[in-house]
Amino acid sequence: MARTHRDIIAAVFLLVLTCVFYAATFTIKKTSFGTVGSDVWPRAVLVGQGVLCILYLANALRGRYRSEITRGGGIAGWFSTYRNAMTCFAMYGVFLVTLPYLGMLIGATLFVFLLFNFLGGWEVRRMAVHGAIAVIAMGAMWAVFTYGLRVILPEGEILRIW
Amino acid sequence: MVIENIIAAADALFTVPTMALMVLGVAAGLIAGAIPGFTITMAIVLTLPFTFGMTPIQGLATMLGVYVGGFSGGLMAGILTGIPGTPSSVATTFDGFPLARQGRPGLALGIGVWASFFGGVISAVLLMTMAPQLARIGLEFGPWDFFSLVLFALTITASLSGDNLVKGLIAGTLGLLVATVGSDEINGVERFSFGFEPIEQGFAFLPVLVGLFAFSQLLSDVQDRQAARRPLMPPGAEAVRIEHAQAIREVLSRWGNLIRSSLIGVFTGILPAAGGSISNILAYDQAKKASKTPELFGSGCIDGIIAPESANNATAGGALITMMALGIPGDIVTAIMLGALLIHDVVPSPTFINDQPTLAYGIFLAFFLANFIMVAMQAVCLRAFVLVTKVRMYILTGVILAYCGIGIFALNNIIFDMWTLLIFGVIGLIMKTLGFPLAPMILGVVLGHIAELNLNRALSISDDLTLFLTRPWSLFFLILGAFSIFFAQYQKLRGKVRWTLIYPSAMAICLAVPLFMMQGAVRPTIAGVVTMFSVWLLWRHKRRGWKLVDEVRE
Repeated sequence: MARTHRDIIAAVFLLVLTCVFYAATFTIKKTSFGTVGSDVWPRAVLVGQGVLCILYLANALRGRYRSEITRGGGIAGWFSTYRNAMTCFAMYGVFLVTLPYLGMLIGATLFVFLLFNFLGGWEVRRMAVHGAIAVIAMGAMWAVFTYGLRVILPEGEILRIW
Repeated sequence: MVIENIIAAADALFTVPTMALMVLGVAAGLIAGAIPGFTITMAIVLTLPFTFGMTPIQGLATMLGVYVGGFSGGLMAGILTGIPGTPSSVATTFDGFPLARQGRPGLALGIGVWASFFGGVISAVLLMTMAPQLARIGLEFGPWDFFSLVLFALTITASLSGDNLVKGLIAGTLGLLVATVGSDEINGVERFSFGFEPIEQGFAFLPVLVGLFAFSQLLSDVQDRQAARRPLMPPGAEAVRIEHAQAIREVLSRWGNLIRSSLIGVFTGILPAAGGSISNILAYDQAKKASKTPELFGSGCIDGIIAPESANNATAGGALITMMALGIPGDIVTAIMLGALLIHDVVPSPTFINDQPTLAYGIFLAFFLANFIMVAMQAVCLRAFVLVTKVRMYILTGVILAYCGIGIFALNNIIFDMWTLLIFGVIGLIMKTLGFPLAPMILGVVLGHIAELNLNRALSISDDLTLFLTRPWSLFFLILGAFSIFFAQYQKLRGKVRWTLIYPSAMAICLAVPLFMMQGAVRPTIAGVVTMFSVWLLWRHKRRGWKLVDEVRE
């Protein structure tokens, strides 16, 4: 996807976002106390943002960002470029969803192990090394936070510590 | 009084645990700064969770250790492999790497280390002397002035942090918008939560910051799978013996360059947003212009190592001056340090140094001391750096991603903070991909509350908006803000288009107006001198027929 098109989409998205938030300022509760209402500052910010978004859109439509085009390949090219980042985000999301069940120790170790394998390769020898690093690194970190800094990390349902 | 404060601060600082933590902090900073792609900010972010259980002085001393170490760590990679460890040591590679390739890596490293040390010490002295003075000026500020100062900080950040000003300003307003989500600080009214309970109190500041900066940075580092599987640096880095004695002689014999570059570093640091990545290039450029042998620059010239290294370490002191005296963070690193202070219930403001002298002078002393520790630790960390370079990028990314999550959870013991980290990590990566600079957004998040609070106070005192223009300091910052919008363009086009001939003089004359409005004799006198000098500059350009640089050469 060309950079210019992406910028047009981004500008339109930001404009819509600004409008939604501006509309939401009318739902902010008015108080009988306080000289300045709670909606004044957000509105001022949103007006400024709206003006800037219109400028951004105008620049994008005029092809001002054409020189910044870096890669082509359409949706497939874009997906291939950001596959790693998207998978990492997804894995992190799964880690957070499963956190109440697996707990921080098991969840973080599994997350790191799977991330290592995804980014580094699934060969058996590598997986053994990845497993060892994940267990040692997360175990040490968990111990430092739990016993050193006295932070009660989520323990989950499997491994009850407290 | 000052001596008493220093003694009290030294008493709090010079304890075995605090010293040990500082040594660890400096070592961590040196190694982190040496790894390309692993910035000082990320090192500070990772240190932050460990400081929760510490006293404020211990926590800040540790983070200052990382800060100073990080600035100096970049030179190891830059000199030994030609790849700068951090953006603040880019110019070090111009002469450091050639000198190392000429068979003098020990001397090149020594010059870098000692230039960093002296730059840091000079800026520490200026920090101790200037911060209380600036804080005294800050006491004159009313809410109108603070509000205008925040606007200036945002405009200059947007101007300096990217090629596209509009995108930079949008990033800044997005940051301000994020700061408005949740309960309003003044009236306690809920805003923009859309019925979603976890954000009724707003987003916690540090998860947003870490997500935007560290999380998105880590994931952009592993986008290329092949690159992610390679070691952090190509082979070439070897531990060498640093030639300390000769390096000290070489650095001190070029004291003019050292002092000039350090001053450039300090004043660049004082400016919001202009950090070490700018000061090292500026100092290198000035050293080259001032040199009798500019043709030697780029071929292993010693002055070319001294200038960037002394400037980047001095920048840290400059950034701390603004944060300590006014409570306005100068860059992302000081924004995180501000967050660390807030965690310990310490709110930097113009009264901070007077109200909490032990802590304030403890920070001054810790910054001073960190430079000494940095020199002592450099040789040890050089070996560790060589080992760390063998680690593969994806290993580091995986461990740090998990660590960020644990550290952020430890902040408030709330799982939603980890979701905030993820959400803002995604936003950060998308923004980076679209060419939006992240620094204005981060500063927007940090400064949003300060701006709103001061606007509210100003409008509560008087609904007269002209006060923003009639109060001298407010007008001063608004003029600076207006001119700062064009600052990046000015730097790029300096001497190539006609308006750049007028720009500095016009800015100085405009800034003289609020100075004339101030009370006393000193500031109006300064304004008079500045105006006369600017008029003389304009007259000189007029006499030369408004000739550009190329036309003058012809």
